[in-house]
Amino acid sequence: MAVDISTGLVAIASGLAIGLSAIAAAIAEKDIGVAAVGAMAEKEELFGKGLVLTVIPETIVIFGLVVAILILNLAKGG
Amino acid sequence: MLKPYDMSSIIITGPKAIQEAIIRELHELKVLHIVEHSKNELADIGKPLGSAANLSEALVKVRALIAALGIKKEEAEFEPKKGLPDIMPAAKKLGENLNTALDELKKCQELISKNEATKQELKILKDINIPLEYFTAYRSLAYFTGYVKDASALNEEISKLTKNFMLLNSGAKKRSFIVLFAEAKIRDKVQGLLQKNSFSHVNFSNISNLNGTASANLQRIEDENARHSRKIVDSNKKIEALKNEHKEFLLASEMFLSRQLEKAEAPLKFASTQSSFLVKGWVPAEDLNKTIERLNKAGKNKVFVHFEPAKAHDNVPIKLKNPRFAKPFEFFMDLYSMPTYREIDPTFFVFLTFPIFFGIMLGDVGYGIASFAIFWLLKRKIKADKFFNVLMLASFVSMLFGLLFGEFFGYEFTHPIISREHEMFRLLYVVLAIGAVHVNIGLVIGFINTLKMHGFMAAVYEKASWIVLEIGVAILALSYFKKISVSPLAGAAFLAASILMLLKAEGIRGLMELPTIFTNILSYARLMAIGLSSVVLAVIINDSAKEFFHQGGVYILIGVLILVVGHIINLMLGLLGSFLHSLRLHYVEFFSKFFHGGAKRYQPFGAKE
Repeated sequence: MAVDISTGLVAIASGLAIGLSAIAAAIAEKDIGVAAVGAMAEKEELFGKGLVLTVIPETIVIFGLVVAILILNLAKGG
Repeated sequence: MLKPYDMSSIIITGPKAIQEAIIRELHELKVLHIVEHSKNELADIGKPLGSAANLSEALVKVRALIAALGIKKEEAEFEPKKGLPDIMPAAKKLGENLNTALDELKKCQELISKNEATKQELKILKDINIPLEYFTAYRSLAYFTGYVKDASALNEEISKLTKNFMLLNSGAKKRSFIVLFAEAKIRDKVQGLLQKNSFSHVNFSNISNLNGTASANLQRIEDENARHSRKIVDSNKKIEALKNEHKEFLLASEMFLSRQLEKAEAPLKFASTQSSFLVKGWVPAEDLNKTIERLNKAGKNKVFVHFEPAKAHDNVPIKLKNPRFAKPFEFFMDLYSMPTYREIDPTFFVFLTFPIFFGIMLGDVGYGIASFAIFWLLKRKIKADKFFNVLMLASFVSMLFGLLFGEFFGYEFTHPIISREHEMFRLLYVVLAIGAVHVNIGLVIGFINTLKMHGFMAAVYEKASWIVLEIGVAILALSYFKKISVSPLAGAAFLAASILMLLKAEGIRGLMELPTIFTNILSYARLMAIGLSSVVLAVIINDSAKEFFHQGGVYILIGVLILVVGHIINLMLGLLGSFLHSLRLHYVEFFSKFFHGGAKRYQPFGAKE
């Protein structure tokens, strides 16, 4: 399956959009997750709040995904 | 629904003489949530009943036995009998038996681990055929034990130096172990030679008291260890037998004692004077009459009960009230936080939307059926009914969405109404619309909550402002894209109004939070994203299996294997993702619009956990 270079670049761009945002979310969630598990060890009722705080940065990936899809779409349209 | 049970605050007081009878009655009624009294200048806290000391001693003993025998609650079926006789003597006797077995076990384990260290040293010396008593301190003789690279080269070099030496070695391939005896006066020279042959010293500290050759000793120790091991097995058997024989007794005793102790220690939560007691608490309004009647009877009309409805700032314990079908979803409130008495209980809304979100993300007939079966089986094994009922309902909704998406284990079995795989954008708009509706429902609930607690204007400034903001941005966007013929100025006016309202309600922080409403709605894109990743994985699994099926023969087996393993993994990922993300959409995007929470759960005195 041969593709021209511009298609390849578009694919790389959308890949970077989601990959980098996923790394960013992972770094953020790592720190929060550590703290949340620590807090939970002390007080088990904090599970709900801990979960919520841990998953807050996930939105970053969703933004990355939306941007990735937009890039793919732009390439298709233009 | 939407509101917890009405609660009445209640104060019960009476003379000490009837205290025990009242406690017994309350324990049986299981309706009073006791508010603990803290000591003040008017009244101290009460003293436990006389039986408390003995009860807690027996309970500690029984719990220690349960822990030592490793008994788990689920292992035994037992009936908590009333008035178990002679718990203490029986527990004592059992404790003695257990301790003998445990001591024996520990002794044997210690002996074995001590022998292990000696065994390691003996293994090295196994092929050196000299008695172990040779390894002692000499006046005129020096000896070295350790590893060298090449024993024969060493032998040659030392024979050039002296004739009075003895070199024993056990040949390993790369390094050989040597024992070298030489005259003490040439110790330094020998050491130099050894160094040249990259000698590494081995120290023997555990064999100094042993006689005879290493291999004989090794045999003896092996025998000893075997004997100890047999003893360990015997002790374990004994402990296991004790466990099986007594576990019902122990668990029943534990339950009986802890319930008795609960009663005996109840006065610690009461206010008490020399001759009277007073207990404050909360009772569901519907149980109030029954409670008063029963207490009067038990207290022979010497008890005084005062009650009144909850006041505005009371910290009321919460007993959630929901129709039977929505009840399992109270699990999510347990997990997060109890709503306060005056705010709306969101359980019903979670019941409406959680399965839908879960369904959109899992959205596959095959996965729906499989997960329904898994949860149905797990429900029978594990006692967490609420949780599994939620998941079973969610799995069922997944099947329905599977029909909508036309998917069966990733395979499009029919022309779908909306295809997750090919119509990403259509689905994206649909889920964003769902998100907008969900977030706005949250804002409306928040409006009602604020209205009840802080009045109309506060509700408008804090909650309605967000809706005005959304309208403003929507008008701006639509007029920009020329979808409607309204001047963008109208949108700008809405926007400005909402910003002023938020500034009034929340201050500068409100301005900083302006974009959150849109990020919250955008966050619902995950409904599409999680689903998409699940479908794509399933399609990849199916395609790679198909390749093998085409090749025929043995390859068909590999294809089947790929299908089974792949779909199991994808299902697990899908379940985890769908559950957590659906949960998150409720806790973060939805609850943040209205929920305060932090109330205590209603825990009536005498009810089991």
